[in-house]
Amino acid sequence: MAYRGGGGHVKPPSALCSSVNSGKFSTCTALSHNICMVSDFFYPNMGGVESHIYQLSQCLIQRGHKVIIVTHAYRDRKGIRYLTNGLKVYYLPLKVMYNQSTATTLFHSLPLLRYIFVRERVTIVHSHSSFSSMAHDALFHAKTMGLHTVFTDHSLFGFADVSSVLTNKLLTVSLCDTNHIICVSYTSKENTVLRAALKPEIVSVIPNAVDPTDFTPDPFRRHDSITIVVVSRLVYRKGTDLLCGIIPELCQKYQNLNFIIGGEGPKRIILEEVRERYQLHDRVRLLGALEHKDVRDVLVQGHIFLNTSLTEAFCMAIVEAASCGLQVVSTKVGGIPEVLPESLIVLCEPSVKSLCEGLEKAIFQLKSGTLPTPENIHNIVKTFYTWKNVARRTEKVYELVLKEDVLSVDKRLDRLISHCGSVTGHIFALLAVLNYLFLIVLRWITPDSVIDVAIDATGPRGAWTHHCPHSEKRGENEKVSKTR
Amino acid sequence: MVLKAFFPTCCTSADSGLLVGRWVPEQSSAVVLAVVHFPFIPIQVKELLAQVQQASRVSLAVLGTWCHRQQESEESLGHFLEGLGAIFSHEPWLQLCRERGSKFWSCKATHQQRPGTPGVSSEDHVMLIFYDQRKVLLSHLHSPTVLPDCQAGDATASAEGLAAIFDTVSRSEVLFCKNQFDEGPVRLSHWQSEGVEASILVELAKQASGPVCLLVACLLSLVSASGSCRLWKLWPLPFIASKLSTCEQLRHRLEHLTLVFSTQKAQSPAQLMRKANMLVSMLLDVALGLTLLSWLHSSNRIGQLANALIPMADATGLWPFVSAPARACVHWACLGLELVPLSSLLVLMLILTAHPSNNNNTTAASPHVAEELQHLLQWLMGAPAGLKMNRALDQVLGRFFLYHIHLWISYIHLMSPFIERILWHVGLSACLGLTVALSILSDILALLTFHIYCFYVYGARLYCLKICGLSSLWRLFRGKKWNVLRQRVDSCSYDLDQLFIGTLLFTILVFLLPTTALYYLVFTLLRLLVVTVQGLIHLLVDLINSLPLYSLGLRLCRPYRLAAGVKFHVLEHEAGRPLRLLMQINPLPYSSVVHTYRLPSSGCHPKHSWGSLCRKLFFGELIYPWKQRGDKQD
Amino acid sequence: MEDKRIFSDICGGRLALQCRSYSPFCREFCVSCPRLSLRSLTAVTCTVWLAAYGLFALCENSMILSAAIFITLLGLLGYLHFVKIDQETLLIIDSLGIQMTSSYASGKENTTFIEMGKVKDIVINEAIYMQKVIYYLCILLKDPLEPHNISQVVPVFQSAKPRLDCLIEVYKSCQEVLAHQKATSTRP
Repeated sequence: MAYRGGGGHVKPPSALCSSVNSGKFSTCTALSHNICMVSDFFYPNMGGVESHIYQLSQCLIQRGHKVIIVTHAYRDRKGIRYLTNGLKVYYLPLKVMYNQSTATTLFHSLPLLRYIFVRERVTIVHSHSSFSSMAHDALFHAKTMGLHTVFTDHSLFGFADVSSVLTNKLLTVSLCDTNHIICVSYTSKENTVLRAALKPEIVSVIPNAVDPTDFTPDPFRRHDSITIVVVSRLVYRKGTDLLCGIIPELCQKYQNLNFIIGGEGPKRIILEEVRERYQLHDRVRLLGALEHKDVRDVLVQGHIFLNTSLTEAFCMAIVEAASCGLQVVSTKVGGIPEVLPESLIVLCEPSVKSLCEGLEKAIFQLKSGTLPTPENIHNIVKTFYTWKNVARRTEKVYELVLKEDVLSVDKRLDRLISHCGSVTGHIFALLAVLNYLFLIVLRWITPDSVIDVAIDATGPRGAWTHHCPHSEKRGENEKVSKTR
Repeated sequence: MVLKAFFPTCCTSADSGLLVGRWVPEQSSAVVLAVVHFPFIPIQVKELLAQVQQASRVSLAVLGTWCHRQQESEESLGHFLEGLGAIFSHEPWLQLCRERGSKFWSCKATHQQRPGTPGVSSEDHVMLIFYDQRKVLLSHLHSPTVLPDCQAGDATASAEGLAAIFDTVSRSEVLFCKNQFDEGPVRLSHWQSEGVEASILVELAKQASGPVCLLVACLLSLVSASGSCRLWKLWPLPFIASKLSTCEQLRHRLEHLTLVFSTQKAQSPAQLMRKANMLVSMLLDVALGLTLLSWLHSSNRIGQLANALIPMADATGLWPFVSAPARACVHWACLGLELVPLSSLLVLMLILTAHPSNNNNTTAASPHVAEELQHLLQWLMGAPAGLKMNRALDQVLGRFFLYHIHLWISYIHLMSPFIERILWHVGLSACLGLTVALSILSDILALLTFHIYCFYVYGARLYCLKICGLSSLWRLFRGKKWNVLRQRVDSCSYDLDQLFIGTLLFTILVFLLPTTALYYLVFTLLRLLVVTVQGLIHLLVDLINSLPLYSLGLRLCRPYRLAAGVKFHVLEHEAGRPLRLLMQINPLPYSSVVHTYRLPSSGCHPKHSWGSLCRKLFFGELIYPWKQRGDKQD
Repeated sequence: MEDKRIFSDICGGRLALQCRSYSPFCREFCVSCPRLSLRSLTAVTCTVWLAAYGLFALCENSMILSAAIFITLLGLLGYLHFVKIDQETLLIIDSLGIQMTSSYASGKENTTFIEMGKVKDIVINEAIYMQKVIYYLCILLKDPLEPHNISQVVPVFQSAKPRLDCLIEVYKSCQEVLAHQKATSTRP
C-alpha cells in the first residue's frame, strides 16, 4: 500500500475509540488482536463460507481489530488487494488442484505463510472450512510457529465412505492441537466432535448470520401465479436430483405454478432435460450463476423457497429467503431444524414424495391466506442472526484462546502420537518435526529482522481507520497490486 | 513551470548574437535552433525567419539574446543586448550568457509586458538542456515501448512532449541547408553538414536510380502480366501453385521487387526503411544463392557428391545394418518408451534421400526408401515387437500398403529419366536466391515422401473412425447420446437390441484397435519426421525473408538514427546557476528493432499449440498439411 | 546536497542510497549494491574447475577441461554484462520527466526516460515476489485516452529491491518534487 506521508499512524492505541468513524460500534475493546483468516474460499468465489469470512472480518475491523485474509489466487486476481474498510486480502499464487482447493504438500506454503504471519505480526490464525487444504496447512504452520489457532467448520460429513474416513482422519490430526474450534450449529458441533474425536469443551457454536438490510421483502414484485424459488449450486450435495423429480409432478398438479432456479453447476444439464421432456420452458426459468447482490432480486419474485440439500451444517439460504418474506420448505437434514422456528419453515424428509407433500402444504397455506405477511416474517427473522452478534461471540473465543498456551514442540508431538492413533500419529509427528526444521532453515535464510513490518490498514494503528493527514485521499483500490 | 531552454551543442562556442528558435508554450520550453550573429539588420532577420517559416511550417521567432564573453571589453554589449528585447518582442525574453573564464552559464528569462502588471519584469526558473543538433535531426523517434498496448493513443500524443522538440528540429531542416560560407545578409551559426558535394558517387547513384527503377518496374510489370495470363488460371494449375512452396516464394519475391522498384517515393521513414530492408535481404539472398551455385559447380563438386552418394545409397550391405536398429527402434516406440532413437535414425534415412534429390540422384534412393518401407511393412505384418495382432486385419492392411508401394515404385521408375533432367535445370534456380533453392528442396522432399503422406492419411482415417465409433458406443453404455443440435451430451434410454448390437460392435472395435493403432503410430512418426524437416527449411526461408538487415546495420553503425527516447545527464552544477542537462539519444534495443521492422513473411504457418497438436494426434485428426499448404497432389 | 546512507535489501544484503539534490526540482537517487566479491568469484570458478577435473579423471578426455575454461569465461562475461546490476539510479526532474538508469557491472547502461506528462503518480506498492511479500516503489503511468486511469505500473529499483525504510526516503523526496510540479503547473 502507499505510504501515507506523515506519522499519522503512530498514534497511541488509546486514540482508537475516538477515531472509529461511527458511534455505533464504539465499544472500546481492552485488547485488540491481529487476526489472520485463512481459507481457500473467498471472493470472487461465491458461497456461504466466503460471505461468512467477509462479514465477520468487517465486523471485527469495526470493533478495532486488525484483520487480514489469506486465500489462493483466482485467475488474474493475485497479489494483494484491499477491500472495503481496508480489509487486506493476500491472493497467494498456489496451484489449485480440485474444486477451488489448493494442492497440499504440507510444506510448500510455509515460506509465504510464515512471511505473511511475521510481517503482519499475526497473533491468531483463524482457518475456515474443512474442505480447504490451505486452511489446514495454515493451522499446521501456525502451530509450528507457536501462534494461537482457531478453526471454523462449516460443513457436515458422513462416516461411512472412504473419502469421509480419510478426511476425518486428517481432521483429527489437524484439530487435535488446535486451540479452539467453532461450529455453525449444534448438529455440526456434534458431527465435528465425533469425527475429530475432540473434547466438547473446546468446541463453541456460533451460527452464521445474514445481513437483514440486504434481504428485505418487496411484495409488489411477486408474480400473480405461485412461484417457487430455488437458489443453490446445482450439485449432488444440494439435492438437484430431488428437484428434478419434484418439478414435473407439481407442474402437472398445479397449472399456475412457476419455478425460478438460480445457480450453476454440473447438474444443470439434468434440469434442462427435465424442462425439455415435459415442455416446461415457460414455467421453469433457469437463471444460471447469480451474483450475491442479485440474489435478493430473485428471491423477492417468489412466494415459496425450496431447499433440497442432502447435507447442510447451517443453511444461510433459508435464512436469507425467510428474511425476504418467503415461506421456506426444506429437507430435514443436518443443522437445518435449528435454524428457523416451526412457524416459518416446512420440514420434509429428503425424498421426492415428502418434499412434494411439504410444498403442497405450503401452497395450500398460501392459497388459504393463513401465512403471515412478508413484512412480518422479515421483522421476526431480522432479530435472529446478526453479524455483530457473531463478531462479539467470536471475539470472546479469541480472548479465551489467547489466555491458553500454545503447545510446545514436545507436547505437540506427544499429543499427536497419543491422540491420532499410532501409525498416523507417528507419521504426522515426523512431519511436524520436519516442518519445524524447515522453519529453522527459513529463519536462518531470512531472519525475522529482515522482514519489513507491514503498514497496518486496519486495527488500532491502522492507516484507514484514522483520518488521513492529507486532504486528498486517493482511492486505495486504484493501487494495482502486481505479482511478478 | 520551469522554463526549459534546448540549446544546440554546436552553438556553445558561437559569437554573441540573437537566439532563433521555436517557443512551445504548452511545455514552456524554448527550442533554440540557431544563433544570428552581429551585425544584422532587424528587417532582414525577420525576412529570413518568414522565409524559413513558410518553407518548414514551424513558427520561428527570435527568442532572446546570446552573449559569449570572450573579452572583458565586451561589457558594454550586455546593455545593448538587453535593448534588443524592445525590437524583437517575445514572451518570455531569454538572456543566455556564457562567462569567459568559467564553465558556468547564466540564464535569465524575463516576462516584460505582463497583462495587468505593465512594466514589471518577472523571472522564472530556467533549465538549460544541450542537445546534439545533428543527431536529433537525423534520428527517427519511435513511439515509446513503455506503452505497447495503446497504439491509438500514440497517434494523437505524437505532438506532445519530447516528440515536439524532435519534430521542430527535423522540420526546420531548411534552416540548416543555408551554408555558413554563403554571403547572405544574415550570418547564422548552427549545425553544418560536411557538404553535399563530398560524395559524387552518391549523387550519381541518386541520379541513376530514377531510370533504373523505371526500367525494372517495366520489366516486372511484363512478368506479372504474363503471370496473370489466362493460361495459368486453368483448373489444376492454381491449386498446384498454391501447394508448391517454390511458387509461393517466387510470388513473394516478385512482390518485394515491385515494391522496391516502384517509382513512387516512400511517404514515411518507416516505408523507406521497409524498402531498404527488402532490398538488402534480397541482395543477401541472391548473394548466398550464387555462392551456393558456384560452390556446387566449381571443380565438379556435384559430380563428386553424386559419385560419393550413389554407392552409399546403393550399398545394399548398408541396409540391413540400418534396418535392424530401425526395427528395434520401432519396437521401443511401440512400447511407448522412447521416440528419440527412431527419429534420429529416420533423419539419417531421409538425409540419404534428401541429398541425392538435389544432385540428380533421386532414382537411386527413392526405391530404397520404398524398399525400406516394404521391410517395415513385412515386419509389421508379422508379430512386431512381440505384440500379437489381429492376423486377418493385419494382413489386409499390410497388403494394401504393399500394393501402394508397388504403385509408387513403378511411378518412380517411369519418372526417373525426366526427373533427373528437370532437377538439373531447377538446380540452376539457386541464382534467384538461396530462399528459392531451399523452397525447391522442400518441394522435392515433399514429392519424394508422398507415399509416406498417403500412408499417414489412410492410417489416420482408419484410426479416427475407430476412435469415433468407440466414443459414441461408450456413450451408449452410459445411457447417453450426443445431441447434434444442442452440441451437448443428453441422456437417452436405449432398447435391449440396441444395447446388444452396441456391445458387440464395441467389443469388435476394441479388439481391433491395437492393430490399427500400431499402423497409425508408425506412419504418424514417419510423417512427423518429414514435416519437421520441411518445417525447419521453411523456418530458414522465413528467417532470410523477414530479417530486417538494413535496420539492424543502421542500429549497429548509427545508433542515434533509431531512437527509442532520450536520456539526460546532469552536467556540473554550481549553486545559484541554472541547471544544465545534456540530452542524448537512447537507441532502440535490438529486439525491438527486429520487432518493429520485421518484414512480413510469406509462409502461412499452422497455428497449432503443442496441446492441440497432441490432441489431434491422439484422436487421429489430420495434422499440418491438410488445410494449409499441403503436399503435392499430382 | 549529497548524502550517502546505508540500508539493506530484502534479503538482508547491504545497499547504499546516495541522494543528490541538484536544485529543488532536480533530484537523483542512486542505489548501489556491493560489487562482485573476489571470494565468491574464486569459489564458483574453483567449483566448476574441480567438477571438470573430476569428470576428466573419469573420462580422460581433455576436451572437458577446455570446455570448463570456456564455460567459466563465458558465464562470467554473461553474468557481468547481462545479470549483475551494480547501480540503479532514479533521476527526477521537475516538469521534464523521470529517468531510470541501471548500470551493469560491465559498464553497460540501460536507461528509460518517462516524460512528466505521462506520469500519474509515484507510490509504494506491495507484491508477492518469489516466496516473499515485498514493498516496491513504482511509477504509475497515465492512460493516454483516459487520464484518470492507470495504464501501466513501472517498478523502480527492480534489481536492488531495497527495504521499506529506504523506499520511504525516496518516496518522500519524489513526492516533494511532484507536489512542486503540481503547484507550478496549475499556475498560469
